[in-house]
Amino acid sequence: MWLYYTRLAWLSLKRHPLLSLLMSGAIALGIGAAMTTITINYLMSADPIPEKSDRLFYVQLDNWSPNEPYDEPNEPPDQLTYTDATALKAQAPAQLQTAMAQSGGVIEPQGLGKEPFLARLRLTHNDFFSMFNSPFLYGQGWSDSADETGDRSIVLSKSANEEIFAGENSVGRTVRLEGKEFRVVGVLDEWVLKPRFYDVTTGAFNEMEDAYLPFKLKETMELPNSGNTNCWKMPEGEGFKSFLTSECVNFQFWAQLDSTQAKQEYMSFLNAYVEEQKKLGRFPRPLNNRLTDVMGWMEHENVVDDDAEVMMYLSLMFLAVCLLNTIGLLLTKFSFKTGEIALRRAVGATRMQLYQQQFVETVLIGIAGGIGGLILAALGLLGIEYLYGEQVNDLASLNLPLLGIGILLAIISSVLAGAYPTWRTCRIPPASQLKSE
Amino acid sequence: MLVMNNITKVFRTETVETHALKQFSLTVNEGDFVAVTGPSGSGKTTFLNIAGLLESFDDGEYTLDGRSVKHLNDKQLSQLRNEKIGFIFQSFNLIPDLNLFDNVDVPLRYRKLSKAERKERIEHSLDVVGLANRMRHLPSQLSGGQQQRVAIARALAGNPLFLLADEPTGNLDSKMADSVMSLLEDINQTGTTIVMVTHDLSQAERAHRHIQVLDGQVTEQQLSKPELATVNA
Amino acid sequence: MSQIGPIFRSLMRNKVGALLIALQVAVTMTIIVNAIHLINARGDLISRSSGLDEDNQFYVTSVGYATDFDAPYVIDTDLDAIRKLPSVTDAVQINAIPMSNGGWSMGLQTKAGEGENSVPTALYMTDEHGLNTLDVELIAGENFKATEVSYRDRNTRDWPQSVLLTEALATSLFPDLSPTEIVGQTVYIQSNEPLTIIGIMDHLQAPWTGWTTINHAMLVPNKFDSPYSRYLVRAKPGQRDEAIAQVEQFMKQRDVGRMVRETETMTQVRMDSYRGDSALQAILWTIIVILCIITALGIVGLVSFSINRRRRQIGTRRALGAQKSDIMSYFLTENILVTSVGIFVGVAGSIALNMWLVSSFNLPRLSYIYLPIAMLTMWVIGILAVWGPALRAAQISPATATRNV
Repeated sequence: MWLYYTRLAWLSLKRHPLLSLLMSGAIALGIGAAMTTITINYLMSADPIPEKSDRLFYVQLDNWSPNEPYDEPNEPPDQLTYTDATALKAQAPAQLQTAMAQSGGVIEPQGLGKEPFLARLRLTHNDFFSMFNSPFLYGQGWSDSADETGDRSIVLSKSANEEIFAGENSVGRTVRLEGKEFRVVGVLDEWVLKPRFYDVTTGAFNEMEDAYLPFKLKETMELPNSGNTNCWKMPEGEGFKSFLTSECVNFQFWAQLDSTQAKQEYMSFLNAYVEEQKKLGRFPRPLNNRLTDVMGWMEHENVVDDDAEVMMYLSLMFLAVCLLNTIGLLLTKFSFKTGEIALRRAVGATRMQLYQQQFVETVLIGIAGGIGGLILAALGLLGIEYLYGEQVNDLASLNLPLLGIGILLAIISSVLAGAYPTWRTCRIPPASQLKSE
Repeated sequence: MLVMNNITKVFRTETVETHALKQFSLTVNEGDFVAVTGPSGSGKTTFLNIAGLLESFDDGEYTLDGRSVKHLNDKQLSQLRNEKIGFIFQSFNLIPDLNLFDNVDVPLRYRKLSKAERKERIEHSLDVVGLANRMRHLPSQLSGGQQQRVAIARALAGNPLFLLADEPTGNLDSKMADSVMSLLEDINQTGTTIVMVTHDLSQAERAHRHIQVLDGQVTEQQLSKPELATVNA
Repeated sequence: MSQIGPIFRSLMRNKVGALLIALQVAVTMTIIVNAIHLINARGDLISRSSGLDEDNQFYVTSVGYATDFDAPYVIDTDLDAIRKLPSVTDAVQINAIPMSNGGWSMGLQTKAGEGENSVPTALYMTDEHGLNTLDVELIAGENFKATEVSYRDRNTRDWPQSVLLTEALATSLFPDLSPTEIVGQTVYIQSNEPLTIIGIMDHLQAPWTGWTTINHAMLVPNKFDSPYSRYLVRAKPGQRDEAIAQVEQFMKQRDVGRMVRETETMTQVRMDSYRGDSALQAILWTIIVILCIITALGIVGLVSFSINRRRRQIGTRRALGAQKSDIMSYFLTENILVTSVGIFVGVAGSIALNMWLVSSFNLPRLSYIYLPIAMLTMWVIGILAVWGPALRAAQISPATATRNV
């Protein structure tokens, strides 16, 4: 029977091609707009590390000024001081934990025609690679002793390795960075996190780093600060050392805590640590330490752009207009069919059978609208990419689940739009339309 | 076979009550060819709608093929219409998108029939009305008379208990009307019962029985062809 | 218009069609009002003056990597050479580029001591060529002298004596004083360190385009001793591209163990900085246009439907003496009635949506001037949309009344 309905629906759509086109066109436009913005929002709010996002915790300690909070209302700073970052790494009770900081430096590749370039650097501990599941192409992270002594070991990104070593296995070779020789211990495979959740303080969708170095080098090589540095009082004393011992925050800290108990223990440690520091005259504010998991931290840092959200809501309203439009057009269209409906009723079709027949027709319109809508969404995303440029790299592409959502949304929309016209058309008494006027 | 007993149908609006049928009684026997006439507003259309199970009634008893239809639900009524009644309308009511074959197929689609059986029935009934060679044409490519023949084929294809015709020649010129009437007579000859509503007295004369309706009641019955009527009584 | 009564009663018998049009108009208007409001709000942001001579300015970045890289020497000799280029008006080393969203901020206070009220400001470090390179005018006081300019590095904690403030910053600090009176006043940085205000600048934006106190900026007579160094260059009017070529050629030819990063013009900096805002504007315009078309098409569709259904009635009216213009005005009036209902619902919807956007996304409050404009637009769209079908209705022949089927 469904096959029969499909054939009838096809004939009926063919009979009023302009009307059919208008209806699927309206749905396509609505779906196109909605899917464009849903895609952006979906990808912005995607869980970047679903397998363990609930076990990775971002650490915040409130070392801010006694006179005012870092941010209203009573928010602790979003980064740590060097003192606290190194102390936590040394003492805090987590199997895996890492401090980190952004930095930058010039890498000078050896060989003819190779230009020095400014590399984005991440200073971190070796736990970083296992905590965030970094994929290694060659080698591995540096040793624990490198963490402690600040060996000049380096892990290169795939693209940096291509730039410097033409993509060869460079483990064991040396790289010249900031005028010093570094030993390559590992090369990462293609690795793109959207959002780059482990550090969103300078923007959630920034590019990944070119190279990773032991955290200790911050101190021993006096590597420059990058990202945001915030101070509530100026460093006391002279020299780079005074910055490292100051109350200025520029460092991020993550801990992997596999159970609620581990989390509780970690929290008690943080509180005890701060109480200890208070005795030394630091941490003038009341106890205000935070452990936030990945998705909670993304939420806190407002990773999904407000504009993207506003556009999504507006485009959903736009879809509503398109649906109202389709309801009107379907009413028009079905009104041409009252004669047929009455005839079918007279020759014995039940109401249910006629509902089904009209239902198939609206679903066909929906599928056409959905396909059209996805094509429009693809165009819309190209448009967004053109308008926003690199700000939306990799955030403007449809993937399989999104295609499914699009088609489903289109079918649900068309069925919703078709519900009232179908009901109204099939409700007509069979005798009413059979007499000619 | 079709027995109406004291059927009453009232149309109510906010201000007026109209008695479309008052204590209307009629019996149609198998093989009959009954013509129902009456002036406009007499209630003959209401009779047709009730007889065709297209409309409900307020009082009385209607038995179709030995089954009282009064308390049947929509689904059961649909099934009865589909299996027992073949409709023929003044304006043919063919579906313009469908070719002749598919138009005749319409009632059969709502039955559980195999594809082969449907095909056989469609071809046979189109053959009866003389249009088997134009199966793939659309209604718009046919004359009015031919369209009405398709409608008759559609009514016949379901092998109904009786045909219910509503002014079957109303939209046709006299020549075409005559050929359609002849076709109905032929069909009746093969044993199919026909109930026909018309305002054309000359055509009513061609039926076996002629019933006149006035103000919702049967006023007069004539046996046009007494010898046949007696046989079937 | 005398037909309004009957038209209204006839509408009430076909509620659904009318309701659909009214709803479409209402939602469309809600979206359009808020979209235009957003477009204009972003337009206001974009059109704020940076205080610069953007068309003629650009910056280059030099990063020294050689172990013997002598930053102050390279910077001073670079600047000397660049200033002498024929197409260049002036050049400075600067710590932050306006509108680039990266920079340095400090708090200033009028009373010394921790916990005193402090006013945030952006901090630009340049030598005495800063004003000329940025194209900022002094409205009071005087510029730095060359002798006041000193080098600092990232570990320097104290500040030079003399500073220049923007007028906006100066009045935030001293709301009761005029610019000339503010010259010579002392403010405190890092709670306790005194600075003397030697001049007031007319206007200069902080680097962060989203900052609430974007007009607070301060010029400090410092150069930065660091291998990482940015030069802001102001070309002679209309000679920016020549200047870029000359500066790049000079920098690349000079072999001092440094790399030169890509030049960026201030026009590009502005575009990048407001890219999201212009993009939002473009997207919203697209939505508005498509939405108007869709709503108009919806009205055309539903009106055509209702005319088709009433062909016979229209023919009868014509047969009974109605003129074509009567038929036209009947449908126009009917449509104006329906769109008006939608428009008034739309007014309520617009305000409600704006209130929600204000509370959820901190967007600015709607200015009510958009409401009458949007109402007028919707009426015009409604009338344009109904015009065609109404014209066709007027062409229906009076003979339709007598025709069968």
